[in-house]
Amino acid sequence: MLKYLLGAALLGAMLPAPANAQSARVQVKGELVDTWCSVTGIMFAAGTAHHLCAVWCAVGGIPVSIKDADGNYYMILRIAEDDESASNPRFVKIMSHEVTVDGELIERDGTKYLFVTQVRDDQGVVNLTHEDNGIQPFGN
Amino acid sequence: MRKIVLSALFAFAITPSAQAAEAWGIEHEKLVEFSARVVDVACTLKNDCPPDCGGGKRLLGLVTDDGKLRAAAKASTDFAGAVRDLLPFCGKTIQVDGLLIENPAITFVMVQRLRENSTQEWRKAEAFQRDWEALNGKSDEWYRKDPLANRVIAEDGV
Repeated sequence: MLKYLLGAALLGAMLPAPANAQSARVQVKGELVDTWCSVTGIMFAAGTAHHLCAVWCAVGGIPVSIKDADGNYYMILRIAEDDESASNPRFVKIMSHEVTVDGELIERDGTKYLFVTQVRDDQGVVNLTHEDNGIQPFGN
Repeated sequence: MRKIVLSALFAFAITPSAQAAEAWGIEHEKLVEFSARVVDVACTLKNDCPPDCGGGKRLLGLVTDDGKLRAAAKASTDFAGAVRDLLPFCGKTIQVDGLLIENPAITFVMVQRLRENSTQEWRKAEAFQRDWEALNGKSDEWYRKDPLANRVIAEDGV
């Protein structure tokens, strides 16, 4: 018995712990953005001004996130039963939309990962930024 | 003129050096070279693990030697992620050269070059371009000719 207990204790010590990972049920409202451009600020990466680039990036497999009004980013890894998180046509078609979703949030090593369980609302593209900022990055 | 300047700046910024990772001047960026294990991010977080790291349809990441999970958000190809570059190394430890973006709101990695070990030459992370051209033909601007992107833009406008 002691052997089993020691073995179990040793195994537990060897397994990698999910460092600072936390899981919580959340509701998130915000704009679907291509994470790279939005975070790096390379160009004006919000709303209609950036829609063209956001579509390209989603096709190219740049992670898609929801950016909320407080500037938080939630990197999407799943929508309901759809677990394709790279170059998913479903994402491409709703880039720049304002959505409200329910999901499971897991935060690890400085990034919030979101497993969406339900899309509660989709307002479409409501952030009309192109008149002031043009079409990014190359114009149209 | 503004378009030309923006285009030139963008093109310059996304041209990787043949010698080493290139800084982009992004706030919170660090030039990094590190070894890490290639993982399916959803698998790592939730133990939801299809074969072959999802076969190219899932976001991949890198678990560093000190256990940090870093999503691989960008590769060297314009407007493209690093999934196709990393997929052949699913579960393996590789060496990565690129940028670590440690924004207070989110952290991720741009993979500019990679190799399996130090005996190999670095190769640019541009597998998306390679695979896209195999399907659609050669193009210096894949994004302008992508059928799905053009269909969505035609329907929604820019």
